[in-house]
Amino acid sequence: MTEPLLDVRDLSVDYLTEKGDVHVLHQVNFAVAEREFVGIVGESGCGKSTLLFAVAQLLSPPGEVVGGEVIFRGRDMVRLHGGELRHLRWRDYSMVMQSAMNALNPMKSIGGQFKDALEAHGTQSREEIQSRSREVLELVGIDAVHLGSYPHQLSGGMRQRAMIAMALLFTPQLVIMDEPTSALDVVAQQSLMTKIRELQQRLGFAVLFVTHDMSVVSRYSDRVIVMYAGQIAESAPTEAIFERPLHPYSRGLMNAFPSIRGPRREMAGIPGSPPDLANPPAGCRFHPRCPEAMDICRTREPALYDRDGAKVRCLLYTEEGQLPAEPARETQSS
Amino acid sequence: MAVTEALSEPPLEIEAAVARGRFLRAVMRNRKAVIGAIILFVMAFTAAFPGLIAPHSPTAALYGQNSPPSGSHLLGTTQLGQDVFSQLVWSTRLTLVVTLIVSAIATLISTVVGVTAAYLGGAADRVLTVITDIFLILPVLPLLILLATYLPPGPTSLVIVLCITSWAFQARQLRSQGLTVRNRDFLVAARARGERSFYIILVEIVPTMTSLLVASFLSLAVYVVGFAATLQFLGLGNSGELMWGTMLYNAQQASALEAGNAWWALAPGAAVALLGSGFALLNYAFDEIGNPALRPVRRRRKRRDRASA
Amino acid sequence: MSDEPQTPQTDENEPLLRTGGLSRHFGLGGLFSKQVLHAVDDFDLTIAEREIVALVGESGSGKSTVARLLARLYKPTKGEIRYRGRSLASLRSRKDVLWYRGEVPIVLQDPFSAFHPVFRISHGIMRNLALHRPDLSRDERRREAERVCEAVGLSPRMLTRFSYEMSGGERQRIGFAQALAVRPKLILADEPVSMLDVSIRAGVLNMMAGLRDREGVSVLYITHDLASARYVADRIVVMYAGHQVESGPTETVLSDPKHPYTQLLLSAVADPREKHTELSADTGEPPRVVNPSEGCRFRARCPFAIEKCGQVTPRLEPIGEAQVACHVAAARGGAAGSSDAAPVTHP
Repeated sequence: MTEPLLDVRDLSVDYLTEKGDVHVLHQVNFAVAEREFVGIVGESGCGKSTLLFAVAQLLSPPGEVVGGEVIFRGRDMVRLHGGELRHLRWRDYSMVMQSAMNALNPMKSIGGQFKDALEAHGTQSREEIQSRSREVLELVGIDAVHLGSYPHQLSGGMRQRAMIAMALLFTPQLVIMDEPTSALDVVAQQSLMTKIRELQQRLGFAVLFVTHDMSVVSRYSDRVIVMYAGQIAESAPTEAIFERPLHPYSRGLMNAFPSIRGPRREMAGIPGSPPDLANPPAGCRFHPRCPEAMDICRTREPALYDRDGAKVRCLLYTEEGQLPAEPARETQSS
Repeated sequence: MAVTEALSEPPLEIEAAVARGRFLRAVMRNRKAVIGAIILFVMAFTAAFPGLIAPHSPTAALYGQNSPPSGSHLLGTTQLGQDVFSQLVWSTRLTLVVTLIVSAIATLISTVVGVTAAYLGGAADRVLTVITDIFLILPVLPLLILLATYLPPGPTSLVIVLCITSWAFQARQLRSQGLTVRNRDFLVAARARGERSFYIILVEIVPTMTSLLVASFLSLAVYVVGFAATLQFLGLGNSGELMWGTMLYNAQQASALEAGNAWWALAPGAAVALLGSGFALLNYAFDEIGNPALRPVRRRRKRRDRASA
Repeated sequence: MSDEPQTPQTDENEPLLRTGGLSRHFGLGGLFSKQVLHAVDDFDLTIAEREIVALVGESGSGKSTVARLLARLYKPTKGEIRYRGRSLASLRSRKDVLWYRGEVPIVLQDPFSAFHPVFRISHGIMRNLALHRPDLSRDERRREAERVCEAVGLSPRMLTRFSYEMSGGERQRIGFAQALAVRPKLILADEPVSMLDVSIRAGVLNMMAGLRDREGVSVLYITHDLASARYVADRIVVMYAGHQVESGPTETVLSDPKHPYTQLLLSAVADPREKHTELSADTGEPPRVVNPSEGCRFRARCPFAIEKCGQVTPRLEPIGEAQVACHVAAARGGAAGSSDAAPVTHP
């Protein structure tokens, strides 16, 4: 078995507040293979954005990695220091932030900003800068004449594309994206995600992205990680998780949004709200909201169990809960 | 009736609700705040009970004239034989009252003008802004001479003049703050349910600005303390009133410095400076406490090694 | 007039709400600028009693402006709004205006900024009761506040909280409770679930459907999410760049979209439970309509545009059960493009 590109082991992150430490991430384990497209979903406050920042080593106080490793191409990034990280960042992995389109410098042309980035990483020759800038801009589907344009002359979707072009300047092996399309309208979102997916397959980088939009995950990612209350609830291939969600929380999510074409049926949503991470419930963190909670869920903390090629953090899949995993469709009566 | 209904629900500053305990602690920990509060407390006590502190009557001209400081007259006596220290103590009351009244009235005017301009916008905003600007550039001293001719000298005239000349600057500040809340959704909601403009301004907008109002009150107080003394020194006061400014005026009229009676002039000057600093220190302190950027961030050494253990 | 909330003379045969040629333009730039942004143009909308109408469009399509026009937060530049047959422009006295505001409240998009930070969450409900139902005593108001709180599925104890102590879903429910307190006939809901997590959206949508079914309230549901529109709405109205492009019964519009823009919107929505459908390659975005000339506003993005589209603004015409503003669809008497409503694909 080959080494994964990114291997996150027991990663824990605390937010240090005056009232005490909040455990925003608790022993998160997952890996991203080369050329893999991984989507992370979950409710707001479940730690999905924090996870991306921790992986990219971009956490700022009060957030802090308090345990675990982030192994990227064989090196633990948690232990790397400023200079070494700067070297890796952008060259080997890059990051596109939520509403990144507002992160462009309004006073500089797109080409000027590409040039700054290239020069900062040691590309000096003018021709090389010029040709690389044209190349990446055309990659994301923007005409190279826009190298001379200023951000305000571009639409939101085009600015977001320009940011992605910037992230691809050095052909990184991993692109980390935090809600890359949430500021865009459905049509622009769909065309941008299609573009990202196409580039990912053509250039062969891996993508780790966060979204709250289930339809985006379903259409573009190879694997889905469902986060709940700072932990991974389930991690499974996309097809599998939409066909047969194992974790009751995943099932809730699948049943929480309406369908555009299939039969109209009642949606339930998930009652309650995510727990306060300063004081998470004992046992399984999902048990207060879980329709299938057993007595043991109140006391025993579930680990991440392997089941049918997926990983799921639920006691239903241990000897205590001999419930077979039901396909989502059968649980949803219309 | 509608207004009392709403007011009966306790309005509460959000910061205060979240962190009332922390706020008090922050004040106690802030040296500027503590010193400012002590100064103001001493001043307020003196103003309330001058008889407990002053050894003599402030007005009785019973003692030796222009005598230097001594055990019985801590700051000497005036040209008329009044005790300077007692005058200083008794003058605290009116000085403080005038300062507080003017600051309160000017804050009120600037709030009403600034917030109304911001909320109504359009033509009303333009008119109110022009008026504010006119008052802002009004040449104070010529106006003062003009007013002095028509107004009888005394505290009331002083209050009127100070109010007229001081509200405009804060009005500009409050207008810009008002502009930032103007399009907030909760005001849109208030308009949509049919509230009248005056209700929205007074009950919905003003409570969101309490910290700014406190700051503007304090900075006005600093201004008023100094400017009231200046005006009285220049003669817009009744020399019979017991205020620090009139003491300065009287001392100057009596050529106290030349007569070798420096304390008569210096003491009220120092008192004015002290009161002004009290307000200013509190103002700075509130600024620091209210600005999270100045708060220290709790840090801890990275525990990187734990992972490998 | 009686003490009962006075109903100015209304026409029973009229629909609950009807707009005719409704337009709203905004001047851009300074005093002497001639730039005019056409946010909404010639907009005709009808809402019946006990009906949820979804107004769908991308950001900048003018859908929120429509809500604010109906909520009397903006004045129309042209056209009129008739509520129960009575023109809103004729409501002049404060009493009449309050009557309308009480019948047609608005719920705003962002539950995190729609509540006053200084007051308790009950403030809006209590103010609504004081303004629109002044005949109630203090105790009755309190009971009424508790009733509407329960009607939206919250515990009455929530009323004493501050907005920052509540979750987004709870706040949005309070937004509807405020609207319910005035015993509305029509609630204008401006993207009420777009800022909420998926897990709580369902609850708010179900609540809207419940209000219609149990309290007989109509809802104008403004959204960019076609799937949620399909879930709750009886009728769908699609907007593009200030114009209405298509409207009709929900299933008709979604199963047989006739306007090319509706087809594009539909093709952009992925359904996770479906096998992947073919995607359009469209990368355009809705234009800002400044000083527009005659013609269809979608023509630059439209794969079927003909010469006429650049010369004549298409008007809404009935095609089957739907109303469609498209020359191509009108000429065919059916969907623009292929008749089996395949997703739009560029050559």
